[in-house]
Order: sequence, then C-alpha cells, then structure tokens
Amino acid sequence: MRAIIAIGRTTLGEAIRRKVLLVILLVGVLFLSVAPGLGVLSARSETVVLRGMVLGIIQLTSALIAIVLTVYMLPNEIERRTIYTILCKPVQRWQFLIGKYLGAVLALGVMMLLMTTVMEITVAINQGIDANRMVELATGPLMFFIQMSLLAAVAMFFSTFVTPLVNFFLSAGMYLLGSLFATFFETLKDNPNTHPLPKAVALVVNTILPNFSNYNVQNHLINPDQTIQNPTAYYTFVTGYGLFYIGVLLVGAILIFDRREF
Amino acid sequence: MRKRPNWYAWLAIFLISQGALQRGFIQDRWARDFAPKGSLVKGTGLSPEQFLFALAGFREMVAGILWVRADSFFDSGNFDAVLPIIRLVTMLDPKQIDVYSTGMWHIGYNFTDEESRSDRRYVPSALALGKEGCKQNPDTYELWFETGWIWFHKIEDDYDKPVYYFEEAEKRPDMQPARKNLLAMAYQREGRADESLKQYFKLYDESAAEMKRDPSLATRQNMETLLQNIDTLLVRMSQRGYFAENNGTYASGEYDTKPPVDLGFSVKASIVEARVLRLEGTWNVLPVGTHIRVVLRDKDYPGGKVAEMDWDAQDEVTLDPPHDRTFMQDQLFVKNRRFSKRIDMSKDVTIYPFASKSYILELFYSPRLAPPHLQDKFSWNGEGMTDANYLNTVVRPGQRVIYASFELTRDQMLRFNQWADTMPILKTPNFRETTERGGREDVIEMPSLRTGG
Repeated sequence: MRAIIAIGRTTLGEAIRRKVLLVILLVGVLFLSVAPGLGVLSARSETVVLRGMVLGIIQLTSALIAIVLTVYMLPNEIERRTIYTILCKPVQRWQFLIGKYLGAVLALGVMMLLMTTVMEITVAINQGIDANRMVELATGPLMFFIQMSLLAAVAMFFSTFVTPLVNFFLSAGMYLLGSLFATFFETLKDNPNTHPLPKAVALVVNTILPNFSNYNVQNHLINPDQTIQNPTAYYTFVTGYGLFYIGVLLVGAILIFDRREF
Repeated sequence: MRKRPNWYAWLAIFLISQGALQRGFIQDRWARDFAPKGSLVKGTGLSPEQFLFALAGFREMVAGILWVRADSFFDSGNFDAVLPIIRLVTMLDPKQIDVYSTGMWHIGYNFTDEESRSDRRYVPSALALGKEGCKQNPDTYELWFETGWIWFHKIEDDYDKPVYYFEEAEKRPDMQPARKNLLAMAYQREGRADESLKQYFKLYDESAAEMKRDPSLATRQNMETLLQNIDTLLVRMSQRGYFAENNGTYASGEYDTKPPVDLGFSVKASIVEARVLRLEGTWNVLPVGTHIRVVLRDKDYPGGKVAEMDWDAQDEVTLDPPHDRTFMQDQLFVKNRRFSKRIDMSKDVTIYPFASKSYILELFYSPRLAPPHLQDKFSWNGEGMTDANYLNTVVRPGQRVIYASFELTRDQMLRFNQWADTMPILKTPNFRETTERGGREDVIEMPSLRTGG
C-alpha cells in the first residue's frame, strides 16, 4: 500500500506540473468566468443557459484533462526508462499501475475541484448565494468526476498496449460510444419492429460497454423546475457501477501489463 | 513472498457486479429520468458532429448555445432563423420551459403579413409544440397554462380547449394564484357561468385562507378583487337571465337580454384588385366593441371548419406550414353601425398563394367574444341578439351566432379571365349601398378637453 501511495503522490506532482494540462485547465476556468456574459431573454433562461454552459465546460475540460493526463502516463515512463528504476525496487507491476491511476485521478480531482469552485463562485455572483442550490449544483461535477475517473481507467487500459496518439482517439471514441449507446439501446428496445436478435446483441453490448451516459445527470440541475425520483439512490448505484467498471479496466490493464516485456 | 491476487477472479467479480448494477438498478432509472427523449433520436436537423456532441452528454450545453444564438436572431428580427433553433433546443433539452413557451408565442404570433395579420397556418404547429411541452414537462403548470392561453387569446373559439388546459394547469401545485382567474374567464367564454362562479368562490376561499396565514396587502387586494368578480358575475348572471334559464322562468321574466336586438347584418365583398378584398356591411349595434371574424380559405383546406380550422389537428411539430394552402383570418371592426375594411393579400404571396380552385369567404360573430358591455345585452349564448337573415344555431351548438359564407373562385380572387375587367362582387341580398351618414345620434363624438376649454 505504501508503494501505491508513493507512486500516486509522485504522479500527482508530475501531473500538476504538466503545462499542457495547466493550459487546458486555464482555458476551462476562463470559459467558466466569461459564461455569465451569455444573456438571453428571461431571468430563468439566463439561469438555465448559465448552468448548462458551466456544467458543459467542466465536463468537456475534464474529459480532455482525463484523456491527456492518462494516455502519456505509462508510455512516458517506458520511453524515459524511469519504469526500470521503479520496477527494480520491491514494487509489483500492479502496484505501479494502480499507483499511477490513483495519482492521475487525484490530479483530475484537484483540477475539477478548482473548476467547481470557480463555477460556484460564478453562479453565486450572478444568481445570489443559495446554499442548497450550490450543494445541489455540485452534484453535477461530482458525477462528472466519477465519469472522468472511468474515462481515465479506459485510457489507462489502452495505454498498456497502444501508442498515446492511438490511445487518445480510442479513449475519446470509447467515451463517445459509451455516451451514445445507451440512447441507441433505449430506442432499439422500445421499437416493436426490431428483430429480437439485434435487441439481444444490443443488450449484451450495453451491459459490457462502459456506460458514460449514466453520469450525465445535469438536466435537473440546469432546469430548476425539474425534479427526479430519489436521486440519492441513483447516485449511489452509478458510483458503485463506476467503481466496479474501473476495477474491470484496471484488472484488465494489470493482466496485459504483467505480460508486457520492456 | 506475498501471494499475488487472483486477477481473473477479480475481473469476473467486477464484470458481473457492474453488469448487474447497470441492468438491475441503473438502466430503467436512467431511461426514466435522464435519457434524451424520443424526438432527439429521430433526427433533429443537427449536423452530425453537433448531433454526436449533443448526445455525448453535452445536450444542455448545445441547447444553451443555440438559445443564445436564437436571442441574437430575435434581436435582429430574423424570425425565420429562430424557428429551427427553437425546435432544436426543445429536442436537445425538452425541460427548457421558456423555450417551449417562447416558441409557441413566436410560431403562433410572429409570422405575420404586411398588415400584421398572423399566418394562421402556423397555429396548429404552435399548439403541437405546446402539447409536446406539456408531455415533456407534465409536473409544472406553465406549459399547460401557456397552451391554454394560445387557445384562449389567439384562437378565440373552441373554448372547451382552454378550459381543459387551464384546468390541467390548476391541478399542478406550482400554479400561480393570480393566473387561476383565467379559468373562470374561460368558463364564461364556454358559456358555463355557473362553473365560473364556482371557480371564483373556490379562489375566494383559498384567498381567505391565505389571508389568515399572510395578511399582506397583496393577499387582501387579491381577495377583494375576487369578491368584486363574484359580485359582478352574480349581477350579470341575474340580469342576463342565466339563473332564470336554468330554472325555466326565463320566458316570463324581464331581463336585459329581452327583447333580442336585431343586428341587421349585411355584407358586400368586392375583389377590388387581384388578392385585394374589400368588405363593407352593416351591424345594427351602436356601441363600439364589435369585431366580426372574417375568414378566407381554400374550400378544401385540410381540417377546415366553419369560420376556423381544426387547430388541434397536429401532434407533431412541423415548421413548414402547408405552403400551397391559403387561410386568412381577420377582424372587422364596427363603427357607427357599419364596417368597412380593405384586406390586401397581394404583398404576401407566400402566405396567400391562392393555388386552389375554390375558396370560401366566411363572416362570423359569436356573442362569447363580445366585450362585457355588449354581452350584457347579448348574453353568453346570444339570447339577446337575433338577425332576420343570418342567425345560425347550428354551426356552434348551444350558441346563437351570426354566420354568412360565400364561395369564390381562383379566377375571381386573382382577377383572371373574365374577371380581369369586371370586379367580382358578392353580397347578401339585404345589403344596401349607402354613402349617406346616419343621423347625429349615429356619430360617436369624443369630447376634447383642449377645444372645450
């Protein structure tokens, strides 16, 4: 455990020093700060548009950070040969991998926390301080954090056997697919004219594929008049789902990484 | 040496657990609360990258950006560009109530011709958008109310529809108290004064209860307004013979509606130029406030009904009205017992294409639309009015309305062939040309403080 923590801490430090990530973060924060400039017809429209924009900016920026942060993590260690200095110590490969992943997630968390703080300040300045609404609004970035942790695990998994560039597109593609497929599946499921075979295939794919759309819960946070049934239960289930799926991807990555020769 | 974890066992456990959670606990909840609703996946008109971006969790963001864009189009008066954006935004984020309500208003009211007449062919689309909005946002009163308002204010007919929507709005707990009055008004327009009275009493009771909780000026004012409304309605119901009609004593009593006034309706319609209609006529009511509906439409207009169309015909929002169809609706205002209006449809060929062979010109007056000072004589169902020639008790069951219609041909409307040099004139047999002004009592003189010293 100590090895995992040490690797994680180092990874966090490295991630925070990476300029490309800081630039992405800065752009995200800048966009969050100027979002209130989007004035529209009514006060409620302004609320809806502002919240939609700030949550969208956080989600988009976080997705970029999660992918860029993770795709280079293992390849850089191998390319710079620093991995040898680590693995020659009493550190197992799985510990190295999990340490790297946790460090990345921690770095992602720090950056998302910063963006969430800017978002809350922006919204509070424009719409007044309402503690309940602020806490409620923060559930959006919290769910995005789990979503991005899952995305980072996807990128980590691919980084054990593909190059960073390929990984970038693979992870982004997986994110897109994982966000789209649930909608596609719902449409297919509800269509009485669809043959049972494609329905069954879609069911299997939907069960296996990482379902990123589970975390797109922002609609009721954006539209103040909307309520959903028992959000706490839903958030608990999708958090559990995220943790299990991250487990699947990390174990998969460990199995591949274990067999890899440097 | 420490034992290595059995990774395959862990993989199986994680895989099964995530699958079980997804299938058993998440999928249905997600589909119910968070899934993009039907219309989005049917095709939105978004470009492929916009569509992917929208579905990849950024629906609300894309909707927000588009709505901001729509605002700039509103500001620049580019209304045509706003329409598809409204459709897109409601598809991307069907929970944006303002977009639905603004969209309904925009589609229903803002497409006008050169003389500020609405293009009525759009109205079923506006109502379809309202219906979709109600379906997508069933828990809030707003879109029920807004859809009801389009029926009440824009269509001014088929009052069972606004009553239905206002009733639905009132069932929602967030319905604003001040807006509940409109249901009482809609009941009256539907001819159900007793229901209107019940509604006012109900609101008064609610207001009195609220007064105990919050004795503020606003609550007191609301309560007093309701009391005044109840008082006024009771007087009207009594003087218009409403109670007497219900208990079978109308025939023997003296009421303001007796004897019925003969409206002496007559009309002459001339096609003075191609696509230009001139309507003149008589209406034997001196006080101002009468507006007679005039409709000129394709004889076989889809869903065409007497002096209106089937406004509720559409369930799907289509942004393209039937471009080859003509449906013009306007009002004729009566002054000094006569009306005269020139309706120029020549500058708006796209709104009035006159592509069909036959047209129907309809003139319609319902007492339900009369302002209170006229309705005090006519009553809600027209008991206090009659007309020797054009009283009609069939076209609107339960109402005594004035209705006249003429058929026209495309050649007449466009002044083609034999009508190129001959002005088509259609008139009721009782129409009399007159250039003379009535007696002094017919002229409405407005006192001027300036000249009067």
